[in-house]
Amino acid sequence: MGRLHKKGQAGAAKAYVTRTAAIKKLQCSLADFRRLCILKGIFPREPRHRKRANKGSSAPTSFYYAKDIAYLAHEPVLAKLREHKAFAKKLARALGRGEWSSAKSLEEQKPSYRLDHIIKERYPTFVDAVRDIDDALCMIFLFASLPSTAKVSPSLVENCARLAAEWQLYVMHTHSLRKAFLSIKGVYYQAEVFDQTVTWLVPYQFTQTIPSDVDVRVMLTFLELYQTMLGFVFFKLYTDAGLVYPPPLDTKKDESGAGVGAFSLQEAKPAAEVLTVKKVKEVEVEGKRISAKDVRQTIKSIAGQTAGDNDIEMQDGTDNAADEADEEFVAHPSHSNPEETAALPTLKTLASLPQSKTSQLFSPYTFWLSRETSRPIFEFLVRSFGGRIGWPATSGSNSPFEEDDESITHVIIDRPLVVKENETEEERERRRRRKYVQPQWVVDCINAGRILLEEPYAQGNTLPPHLSPFEGRADAYDPTLGVSVDDAEMDDEEEEAASEAEAEDEEAAPEKAALMAAAAAKDAAALRAAELEAEAAGVDFGVFEKEARKARKKVHVAEDTEEPTEEDMNKMMMSNKQRKLYERMKHGEKKRSSERQNLEQKRKQLEKEKKRQAKS
Amino acid sequence: MDKPLTAEELDLIRRLQEGENPDAGYDPYEPTVEWFTGKGKEEIMPLSAAPEPKRRWVPSKWEKQKVMKIVRAIRQGRIVPNKPKTASDKPQFYNVWGEEPANQPPPPPAPKPRLPTHAESYNPPEEYLPTEEEKKQWEETEKEDREREFLPQKYSALRLVPAYNQFIQERFQRQLDLYLAPRVTRTKLQIDPNSLIPKLPSPSSLKPFPVYKSLEVAHDKGRTRSVSISPDGTWAASGDENGVVNMWEVVVGKVVKSWKFKGKVGAVEWCPRTDVCFLVVATEEQLHFLIPPNLPTSILVATQAVLAPSQLPPAPATPSPVKWQSTSAAASTSDSAILIISLPSNSGLPRQVAWHRRGDYLATVASGEGQGGVWIHQISRRHSQAPFKKVKGTVQSVLFHPTKPHFFVATQRYVRIYNLAEQKLLKTLQPGIRWISSMDVHPLGDHLIVGGYDRKLCWFDLELSDKPYKILRYHSRAIRSLHFHPTYPLFASSSDDGSIQVFHARVYNDLMTDPLIVPLKILRGHQVREGLGVLQIKWVPKQSWLVSAGADGQVAVWCS
Repeated sequence: MGRLHKKGQAGAAKAYVTRTAAIKKLQCSLADFRRLCILKGIFPREPRHRKRANKGSSAPTSFYYAKDIAYLAHEPVLAKLREHKAFAKKLARALGRGEWSSAKSLEEQKPSYRLDHIIKERYPTFVDAVRDIDDALCMIFLFASLPSTAKVSPSLVENCARLAAEWQLYVMHTHSLRKAFLSIKGVYYQAEVFDQTVTWLVPYQFTQTIPSDVDVRVMLTFLELYQTMLGFVFFKLYTDAGLVYPPPLDTKKDESGAGVGAFSLQEAKPAAEVLTVKKVKEVEVEGKRISAKDVRQTIKSIAGQTAGDNDIEMQDGTDNAADEADEEFVAHPSHSNPEETAALPTLKTLASLPQSKTSQLFSPYTFWLSRETSRPIFEFLVRSFGGRIGWPATSGSNSPFEEDDESITHVIIDRPLVVKENETEEERERRRRRKYVQPQWVVDCINAGRILLEEPYAQGNTLPPHLSPFEGRADAYDPTLGVSVDDAEMDDEEEEAASEAEAEDEEAAPEKAALMAAAAAKDAAALRAAELEAEAAGVDFGVFEKEARKARKKVHVAEDTEEPTEEDMNKMMMSNKQRKLYERMKHGEKKRSSERQNLEQKRKQLEKEKKRQAKS
Repeated sequence: MDKPLTAEELDLIRRLQEGENPDAGYDPYEPTVEWFTGKGKEEIMPLSAAPEPKRRWVPSKWEKQKVMKIVRAIRQGRIVPNKPKTASDKPQFYNVWGEEPANQPPPPPAPKPRLPTHAESYNPPEEYLPTEEEKKQWEETEKEDREREFLPQKYSALRLVPAYNQFIQERFQRQLDLYLAPRVTRTKLQIDPNSLIPKLPSPSSLKPFPVYKSLEVAHDKGRTRSVSISPDGTWAASGDENGVVNMWEVVVGKVVKSWKFKGKVGAVEWCPRTDVCFLVVATEEQLHFLIPPNLPTSILVATQAVLAPSQLPPAPATPSPVKWQSTSAAASTSDSAILIISLPSNSGLPRQVAWHRRGDYLATVASGEGQGGVWIHQISRRHSQAPFKKVKGTVQSVLFHPTKPHFFVATQRYVRIYNLAEQKLLKTLQPGIRWISSMDVHPLGDHLIVGGYDRKLCWFDLELSDKPYKILRYHSRAIRSLHFHPTYPLFASSSDDGSIQVFHARVYNDLMTDPLIVPLKILRGHQVREGLGVLQIKWVPKQSWLVSAGADGQVAVWCS
C-alpha cells in the first residue's frame, strides 16, 4: 500500500498563496506589500484551478507563487521597511514629547534603502533593462511636466526633468530616433537603442493635474524604481558612448529656459587631463570665460556650416578616426575558386548601411521655429536627425542663431497665412528664399525616411492626413491605397441605375414587370421567355441585357453564400477543441475585415460626396 | 381586566428603555464635594521624619561613568558628533552590469502596450472619424467595454490640439496592469485557420451518392412517420399519421396500392427475405402483415404458407398475452392483413419494427409501459416473448446484430448490447447523449452510429471502446433517423432542421486503420412543420438512392 496523501499538502495548494496569506507571512502592511511587489516586479498568477489553490474556496482572491513570497521574505528592502516603521514610531514619540533635539537626530538617522540589487536582479543583462524602459520613460516625461504639489515634491519633478533631458540628449547624440507620431494623446517617439525599439509617449505642453481617482502613492513607488533604473541605464549608455554621466547642468541657462541646451555633453577623459586642458585653454575675455569650444563654435557659425551642434560634430570626428583605426578585413581569395572573393561585412561596411543615411536626414538644412510651435518637440526631432535649429527668445534662450540668419532654409510655422502690409525689401527677399512648412512636414519626412515635397505642407494649406508609422498588420486597412477599381465601377453602375430609376419612374408598368422577370429568371429558358416578354412590352434590348447581367451577378453572389462548400462540410469533422480555436480565429479575422470594410465604405461615401461637390 | 399604567410608571419604563437611571430624582452631575484636597487642605507635614539621603544631593557615580565612556569614545574618534549626512560610500550610479550576470533566467518581461494606429493621429484620414451613431454608441457604452479609449478627432493644425484629459489615468491603468494583473506567457498561434480543417478526399471522387430529388410521393394529410423499401429495391411503402399506407414503385413514384388503418401508423417495414414478400405495419397495439398485390404465384403461395400455415405450430406452454390471428390463405386478399398480432393492451403505438436479417424474428418497441415495451416475435413458431423483465429507462430503439446473435437496446442515455443466445449483457456503450433518438449498425457489424435529440451523432467502434470514436455535431436540430447503406460505404442522417446529411463511411478490415468519414452532401427539400423535419430515411438496397419521409407529408426519392 502506498503512502496516504493528505489533501492540501502538495500541488497547487502548496504552490500558490493568497494575498492575505502572503501579507501575514511577511508580517507587513498591505501598503508595504504593494511597494515590495512593485519594486521587485512580483505579480499575481492565475492558477489553473482556483478552487484547488484556495482550499476548495472559490472566493475571488488574487494568488501569488509561494516561492515568490518566500523570496520576498529575504528582501533587504523589507528589513529596511521594518526599520522605517520603528523609526516612524520613535519619531512620533519624540515629537509628541516635544523632544526636538532627539527628533532631529533621529531624522538624521532615518533609514533609507537602495534599489541597485533589485535592478540587477530584475534585469540581469543590460539589454533586458533597455527592453523595459518604455514605461519608465513615459512616466518620467509625464512627471517632468507636472506642477509640484504637496504629494509631488519639486525635487522629484526636477529629477524627472533632468532624466528626460539626459535621455533626449543621448538620443540626439547617437541619432537613434527612428519614428515619431503626432497623436491626440501626445507625441510618440520610437528610438532604436542596443537593437531594442524603445517607444515612449510625451504629452503636449499643457499643465496636467493629477485627478482624484488616481492613487499617487502607487505612481510614486513606480517612479522611485524608474528613476533608479533609468539612472543606471543612462550611466551605461553614456559611458559606452564615451560621455560623462551625469552631464553637467548650467543653472543659469536652465533658469532662462534653455531646456535640453542647459546640459552639456562632455567626453570622458582621465580626470587629470581634463583639468590641465581646462587650465590651458580657458582665456578670460572681457570678464567672460571663453573655452576652446566656444571659439570653435564661433568659427563654425562664421563658416556657415550646416551640420549639427558642437558636441555632435566633435563626436563625429572621433568616430571617423576610430573607423580608420579599425582593422580592415583583408579578403584572401580561396584556392579552388580564385575569382570569388569573400565579401564579408566588416564593422565599417555595417556602419555605412543606409540606416545611417536616414538618421542624418536633416543635416543639410537649417530650421527656424516660429513662435507658436512647440520648441521641445521640434528641437528634439530636428537635432536627432542632424539638422540645425533656432528659435525666438520667447521660446527660450540659447538659440544658436537669430531669425535673420542667412543659412536658414526652412521655417516651421503653424499659423494661417496673413498678408503683411508693411514688409521691407529685405524681409520679402528672406521670405522668398526660405520655405515655410507646417510642423507635420517634419514628422512625415522622418516617417517616410526622405525629404518630402514642401508644397502640400506649405503655410496655410490644408494638410494631408498624418498617418501612424506603427500600423503593422498586413491585412489592416491602408488609407494610402486608392479605392479598388471594380468596386468603383460597380458603384458607378449602381449609381447610374439609381439615377435612371429616378428619371424613369413614371414609365409604363409592363416594362418594369418584364425587367423584373429578367431579374428573376434563373435558367436559360426562363431568360428567353423574359426577353420575349420584354420585347413585347417595348423595352430596349440594351436595357434588358444590363438588367439581366445584374440579376445574374446577384444570383451568383447569393449562390456563393448559400451552397456549402467542401471545406464547410469538412469543418464538421473537426474536434470540439479545434472547432473552438478555429471559430475564435475566424471571429478575429471577421472583426478586422468588418472594420476594414466599414472604413472603405466611409471612404467611398466621402469620395462620392467630393465628386458630387466638384460637379455642382 | 385592564389596569392603566400611571404616568410615573410610564416614565419609569421609558427610563429603563433608554438605559437611564430609573430613579427620576437622581442627578448624575452633582457638584463634587472636596473632602481631602483643594484649597486650604494641603498637607504640610511630611509623612516620615527620616533625614534626606545623601544620594539626593551627591552627583551620581554611575552617571559619571556612562558620560565618561561617551567622552572617551569621542576622544578616540569612535563616535563622530554631527556626522555629515552622506547617503553611502557607493556613488549613486555606477555600472551595475559590470560583472557577470547571474545565470538565472530573467523574469518574463511585461507586455508592451499597444502601438498607436492611424485613428489616434491628430489629423487622421477622414474615414476614421466616427459618425454620429458611432459617437453616441461610444458614449453610451461603459468605459471598460469600449473598443477604443478615445474618439478619433481631426484638427486642422497642430497648435489646435488640446491636452489629452485621460493621460494620467491611462498611465495609472498601465501601472495597475503591471503589478496587479496576472501574467501568462502564451505562444501565439501563427497558423492559417484553414489549416485546422481536416484534409479529406473530395466528394466528387467518392461518387455515387444521392445529389438531387428525383420524385416525390405526397400523403394528403398527416406526417409520414415511416418509410420502408422492399429488399429487391423496387417497391416502397410509406405510412402516415392518418393511418394511410401507400405502396409505390421507387423508380416511378406511382401509388399502386393504398391501405387505410384506424389510428396512426407507427412503423412500416418490409420483410428482408427474398423468397417471400410481405410487409408489416404497426398501428395502435397491433401489427398487420400485408401481402402486396400482383405477386408471382410462387412467391404468393410461399408467403401465405409462412404467414398463415395450414398447420399451426403447437401453442407454447405458458399462455402469452400476445394474440396471433391469421385469416386462411384462401380467404386472404391484398386488401386486408393476412396476419394480425395483437400486443397486450396499454402497450401503445409501436414506434419501431426491427427485423432480424433472416426474416424470422422481428422486434417491436412500443411506447407503452411494461417490459420496456420490447417484444420479439418469431413468425415460424407464431410466438412472442418479452426479452426483458425490467429495463432501466425507456427503450428508444432496438436492433439485431447483422452477423452475431447480439441485440442492441438503446435507452434514453445508454446503448446496451445483449447476447441473445447466452442471455446476458455484453457491453454498455456510453454515447454521452442526453436523449438517444436513433441508431444503426454497420452491415459488417463492427461499428454503430447513435443519434440523439441533442444534435449529436456518435460513431462507436465496437472493438475499441465503449466511448465514442468520434462525435459529430453538425445538424442544427435534433437528429431523427440514421441509416447505413447495406452495400455502398454510405450513411445518412436526417434531422428536424429539414436537411439530410450524406456521409461516406469507409470501414477497413484491419484493426489498425481508423474508419474514414467524409461528409458528402447536404440534401435540402423537406419543409419543417411544427418543429419537425425529416422523420425517417432509408437507402434503396441496390442503388445509391435515398428515400426520405418528412413531417410535411412528402416522401422523396434522392438519386445520384
